[in-house]
Amino acid sequence: MNGQPDALTERETPRTPAPGVGWEEFSRELVEFFASIKLAMFLFLFIAITATIGTVIQQGERPETYVQEYGENAYRWFLRLGVTDVYHTWWFTSLLGLLCVNSLTCFYKRFPAVWRSMKQDKVSVSLAFIKGMKQQAEIPVKGSKEAVAQSLAQHFIEKGYRVLAKNDAGEVTLYATKGVLGRVGAHMAHLSATVIVLGGLLGSYYGFQEFGVCLEGQTYHIPRGNFDLRVDKFWIDYHENGSVKSYNSTLTVVEGGQQQMTKTITVNDPLVYKGIWFYQSSYGDAWDQIEIARVNIKDKESDKVLKTVDLEWQKEQSIDDLKLKLSITDFVADFAFNSTEKKVYSKTVEHANPAIKLTVNERNSVEATPWIFYQFPDLFDIKDSKYQFELVGYKPKKYTGLQIAKNPGINIVWLGSTMIVVGITLSSFIYHRRLWTKIVGTGEGVTVHLGGTTHKSQIDFQKEFRKLTEKIRMF
Amino acid sequence: MVRSLFLFDMTFWLYLAALTLYVAYLFARRPSMALAPAGYPSEQFDERDGAWATQLGQVATLVTVFGWLVNTAALLTRAFERLEHSGTFAPWSNQFEAMAYVSWAIILGYVLLELRYKIKAIGAFVVGIGFIAMGAASLLPYRYQTAEPLVPALNSYWIYIHVSVTLTSYAAFAMAGGLGVMYLFKERAELQGTQSRFYAAFPDLETIDELGYKAIMIGFPLLAFGIILGAMWANYAWGGYWSWDPKETWSLIVWLIYGAYIHARMTRGWEGRRAAIYAVFGFLMVIFCFWGVNFLLSGLHAYA
Ligand code: HEM
Repeated sequence: MNGQPDALTERETPRTPAPGVGWEEFSRELVEFFASIKLAMFLFLFIAITATIGTVIQQGERPETYVQEYGENAYRWFLRLGVTDVYHTWWFTSLLGLLCVNSLTCFYKRFPAVWRSMKQDKVSVSLAFIKGMKQQAEIPVKGSKEAVAQSLAQHFIEKGYRVLAKNDAGEVTLYATKGVLGRVGAHMAHLSATVIVLGGLLGSYYGFQEFGVCLEGQTYHIPRGNFDLRVDKFWIDYHENGSVKSYNSTLTVVEGGQQQMTKTITVNDPLVYKGIWFYQSSYGDAWDQIEIARVNIKDKESDKVLKTVDLEWQKEQSIDDLKLKLSITDFVADFAFNSTEKKVYSKTVEHANPAIKLTVNERNSVEATPWIFYQFPDLFDIKDSKYQFELVGYKPKKYTGLQIAKNPGINIVWLGSTMIVVGITLSSFIYHRRLWTKIVGTGEGVTVHLGGTTHKSQIDFQKEFRKLTEKIRMF
Repeated sequence: MVRSLFLFDMTFWLYLAALTLYVAYLFARRPSMALAPAGYPSEQFDERDGAWATQLGQVATLVTVFGWLVNTAALLTRAFERLEHSGTFAPWSNQFEAMAYVSWAIILGYVLLELRYKIKAIGAFVVGIGFIAMGAASLLPYRYQTAEPLVPALNSYWIYIHVSVTLTSYAAFAMAGGLGVMYLFKERAELQGTQSRFYAAFPDLETIDELGYKAIMIGFPLLAFGIILGAMWANYAWGGYWSWDPKETWSLIVWLIYGAYIHARMTRGWEGRRAAIYAVFGFLMVIFCFWGVNFLLSGLHAYA
């Protein structure tokens, strides 16, 4: 870190032996267990295996579906084990929790050592220690040990190493290290798992996800945000070849009687207001409203069509030459009648048996409100009227399906995500290297004993080490 | 459409030629000193190869690089075709294009590896996988190969980065899988004490093992990044960052499998043979995640 090699005394961290079998022993064993890589591997693999279940067995279907496909018996087991909603079972969640505990304990147990080695490290080592390393060399060089040490240190510093030196009577020991950030990265990844899970929990406790069916021109109150949302328009854009290009809804946020913002949302572009997100999610034909209907007016006696009119939804239209005033006051897509409440309603959302309620005023004397069926034109008759009405077509109002969601944990999830990606990347591309050199004075020169380790990327290190020895030979 | 399809076709044949040359390189006559056992520093392959093998190796590399350039041209051409017809640029917007992109990334990775480590024997395995990916793409029915407009859910700038990052991680895992197979071949030969010329060009086991590990260490962060980009996209398009859709679950499964691998390497015994088998297994899981999920399981990602 600092440019000059500086002397440093060795400091051993004393290990206190645990007395007997007591809380200390127990807690140490516990830490040992939860910090073990074996547990980590088990969890990684076990979560992987159990996660496949939910991709093979359909999740969240209705009971009949499972019984039909797997049989009654299997379904009972499915329920017991929760495999119809695997990812929310207590045991799957516990596995994720255990992974968090595991990685946190690992951090607790191992990070202090990494932190210490960023600050200081063991400089004096024995000659035997250097000779025992996987990469080691012994190079005779001319010159005084101080001069050789100086140029060697210079070389290490140029290569981005941090160098510590210790000058003893007969020898100089150099310690050079680089890339500890790779290990810091690994531990950053370890913390991230818990951060992501916390963000997820926050989102599932304090967030919500709802689905709203909204009609054009209507305003809806959003209680959780205490504002109103007006759906101005919904439409579909097409490509030249007829396939759908985009679904669009223009939405306006109204709060306190003021229009706060207007935005056209599409599938990949939601509206966000006060932390609530509105997504374009689906669309369809409304089952209780239409935009316009085409009605034939027939003369009852001659059964001839006198006129065809297009009636707008709930707007009275005068047809002066026939002395008629018509308006459409109601619509159902799939006609049904509730005889106890005496009410007409739509049985399903499908346009299976559509009917309009026509309000008729003839010569200001005859008034009637018949239901006119698209599929059964002759079902009604207005007694004193000269006319017969026929529904020949209509254009349904489109609704837009909005996903409405709020997730207060999302930024924490993104924080954890950033940590995991940055952490793994650091640990993948930066590897921790440590080199020890002892420069021992001999008769007319010095011998450089060089040894080094890395915790991974052996072949790159090997190459670097070979280059280094060649360099030292040239001193 | 026709132009890019022609170039993709050409890529296929060039990769086939490259693969053939790399295999021929392995079988080429070598000076007898090449038959010495393992432990050679990797830089000295030229000496061990002799005239025949060296020339074959050079031609193999040239053909591979040329094939890769044609692959690049094919993807670029497809990108412009997409821009004209479907309003997006990304030449990885359906299964066919994704496969062609993966083979592009595998071959690029291989060329970089060869540049850096000068070990041509790996070509027979890794270029092989690139070729198979390209070949499997060409076997797809024609209607999968054209650049149809994207459905609205996919038509977003997220597709540029999410898909390319994820596919690049698959390429890294493919590299590791190829190296794993190579390791197993070489190990068997060593155990049997085979003196076959075939293995003379192979680097020593430790190098193969280490390179495989490196490939996984590149794929692992990329896949993490890819999954997270997918989560961000989902948060933009579907109203939730994680919905346990089969594709995202499977990429998480693959990621966990490799997570177990990198931690396993820190404990004893998980280098060499075990690691090689594991890398091959991991790659099979990647193939399932890439192909199997799209064709066998339903979900929001089944865009093929
Ligand atoms: C939650 C997901 C986890 C991720 C993404 C993760 C990621 C990583 C990465 C990328 C490395 C560096 C590997 C290398 O240098 O080759 C690493 C190292 C390590 N991991 Fe994990 N890990 C996770 C969970 C765990 C758990 C649960 C444990 C529990 C024991 C653990 C124990 C270790 C240890 C001991 C190291 C070596 C650290 C060092 O070099 O100082 N990891 N981890």
